[in-house]
Amino acid sequence: MESQLNFNIENSFNSRYSFCARQVLDELPHSFTITDPSISGHPIVFASKGFLKVFGYSKDEVVGKNGRIFQGPKTDRKSVMEIREAIREERSMQINLLNYRKDGTPFWMLFHLSPVFSKEDGRVIHFVGVQVPISPPRRPRWSASGVVRNGANMCEEGDRVCGNIMFGSCRREVCSDTPVELSRVLALESVLDDSSRGLGIEETCEASNLEKQEAEVAINKIFSVLTCHSELTGRFVCAKRHSLPGAGILSSSLNISLGRIKQSFVLTDPHLPDMPIVYASDAFLRLTGYARDEVLGHNCRFLSGADTDFSTLYQIKESIQTEQACTVRILNYRKDKSSFWNYLHISPVRNASGKVAYFVGVQIEEGCKNQDRNGLCPEMRHRSVVGAVKVAVRSLSIGAGPSRS
Amino acid sequence: MVTVKQVEDDNLVSKGAIPEQLKCPRFCFRDIRIPLYRFSSQSLLDDSPFEGHVCITEDEQSALDSLLLAQWEDKMWKGVLRYDVTTSEIKVIFGRRKFIAQLNEELGMDYVPKPEADKICGQGNLSEFQWTKHQEEFLFYVASGEMAIPELIPSAAMPDGAVLIIINEIPVEYGHVFLVPCGSDSLAQVLDAKSLEMVARFAVEINNCSFRLFYDCPTAGTSHRYFEACYFPSPLPVELAPVDTFFHEGQRGMRISTVTDFPIKTLLFESNKKFKRMVEVLVEICYQLQEKSIPYNLLISDCGKKIFLFLQMQNMANSGTLSAWECGGYFLFQSRSEFDQATEETMLNKLRDVSLDDEGFQVVKELCCSIADKFAA
Repeated sequence: MESQLNFNIENSFNSRYSFCARQVLDELPHSFTITDPSISGHPIVFASKGFLKVFGYSKDEVVGKNGRIFQGPKTDRKSVMEIREAIREERSMQINLLNYRKDGTPFWMLFHLSPVFSKEDGRVIHFVGVQVPISPPRRPRWSASGVVRNGANMCEEGDRVCGNIMFGSCRREVCSDTPVELSRVLALESVLDDSSRGLGIEETCEASNLEKQEAEVAINKIFSVLTCHSELTGRFVCAKRHSLPGAGILSSSLNISLGRIKQSFVLTDPHLPDMPIVYASDAFLRLTGYARDEVLGHNCRFLSGADTDFSTLYQIKESIQTEQACTVRILNYRKDKSSFWNYLHISPVRNASGKVAYFVGVQIEEGCKNQDRNGLCPEMRHRSVVGAVKVAVRSLSIGAGPSRS
Repeated sequence: MVTVKQVEDDNLVSKGAIPEQLKCPRFCFRDIRIPLYRFSSQSLLDDSPFEGHVCITEDEQSALDSLLLAQWEDKMWKGVLRYDVTTSEIKVIFGRRKFIAQLNEELGMDYVPKPEADKICGQGNLSEFQWTKHQEEFLFYVASGEMAIPELIPSAAMPDGAVLIIINEIPVEYGHVFLVPCGSDSLAQVLDAKSLEMVARFAVEINNCSFRLFYDCPTAGTSHRYFEACYFPSPLPVELAPVDTFFHEGQRGMRISTVTDFPIKTLLFESNKKFKRMVEVLVEICYQLQEKSIPYNLLISDCGKKIFLFLQMQNMANSGTLSAWECGGYFLFQSRSEFDQATEETMLNKLRDVSLDDEGFQVVKELCCSIADKFAA
């Protein structure tokens, strides 16, 4: 399972840009990561040398992890939410963000996020995140002196810098115009020398135009490497969406939400010819023995075989036609032709307009010793997956149409 | 990961309830055996920071989330709900605020959430409340526990200090439930720290960004004490509005901020640590607001990391204060024409009309600072 995940992560990059792209990217001086929203957990699939240097991690410590491991107690939640929104809407964004190095020291950086689109079907393949450390303009700020002087009593519980250099009073009126500035001020309090307080704090961590340019330059260089190398694999990518996402393509945010559900299930799209699978969970692939590429775009009937009861199939077909949920026990076949009894639940799932967008099918292998880790009986496991999928799909296409500014 | 008790070892069914016991709400549930979810002993009480909470990994659905969704979907499947809320259309209203509108033709305005929970918690008509009739609406209990990891007991009687989770058969959104604290002091008319902490903990452990918890302060002359919760498809506008911090307790302490650029006066409470103290401060603030007859609502979002406090105007006409989700920017419409014609301006006015005025807001901010200072001391 672990090795499968590692393979997926390696493959996510290599199959799109070829292995040699790694070397070329590593020659760039910039700090950046590439993440794959279609893999469960939205993990980092590539981290540049510059990134590892800035953050103090080794490659193995970050590849496979979600970018949130670099956030800490002082990272502004609202900024995190804005990033999440940008991912949801599959658009570029720039934001000043407080991140933490491995040793626990926080630092401000300009974070630039850009989606990488597939030229073929308009779907988001990866996100590139560039981090430009923001150098404070004037006056001591990351105040080496302050940190060192107070070093002895600054560390609490091991690794996070905090504590004893708070200002005399707990309460403090702060005049600031934007939340970003504000949170920056708050974060700085802990590292600022008392004497330098009050002057220039607000400006201290606003990314300068120079830094913004640097992020742009980095993004452009990275994209030129990625697009150029995607030609080698024949699976072209681009920085701008050339076509609307094709039929059967799920958005990154839906992929990320669905990735949190660890049970075996598939989503099928009834609006496409032959109702193909558009999403298959990792657990489904483990259960059936197929690779993702072998099932996406195909109708579920490949699971049936010689001894599958025809009347059960008819029952499923009927419930789909009437847009009703149903539960059946059906004999299914794995890729290696071995059969298993599948306790299957199928339910329609609706999008923001209240229309059926997909059908979800939840598979539980009968007699399988693997008891649910959350202690739910099979029926309730069905329900829990359906509920989670309904919540994830409910937001689908909410932004579409004239409502979106 | 939770442990599961296969054996029903909780044999506390009390037979033959004495009538006077019924005066206290906690006894009315004694005989009902439903699943019980026990939090781990690692509690927010310990001032443990959110990050690194032992049973929470962000990349995976939590056990509590699975339980709630499973129970809710199950009731839906069994026809307990009056309608399927996922058939109601939702949209973002044009404009920069991104107010959200839902067309819900099923929801009669007459019975906008005046739930069974009212009957359950209101003292007056408790004896009239026939729980047997409503038993199917009960989903499960949550209670604190002593194990290192959370525990799910498939069937149990209600332990002391539990919170009862009841389905709302006329849901505003998917997963709409009532959370009814059934503690020993459940007769109290005001919000208490224990209850608020329990439900905030619920939000932390459910660990789903779509999940939101609400509390509407009781209107004059009524008494109830329950929270509501559901899954919202996208962030509420208030969560996207900028904030301006005016109280800051230090590195990991509490932060109180004003939500700026929002039509209804709103405060945001956040704390990375010392969560229990923040809850105590908040409860004291709510108590004072009630004393001053300032209607308020709470919204708990971002997996328990943020608590919004909406401040409404004292209304003379005693006519409609808004619910917490309306304050947050989520509106329900009963007719297609209203839904289609909804504009940002109308929604802004709706919120502005009920908002506390500047003067009152200043007083509340000062009140917050003085209470927070008092607790910090």
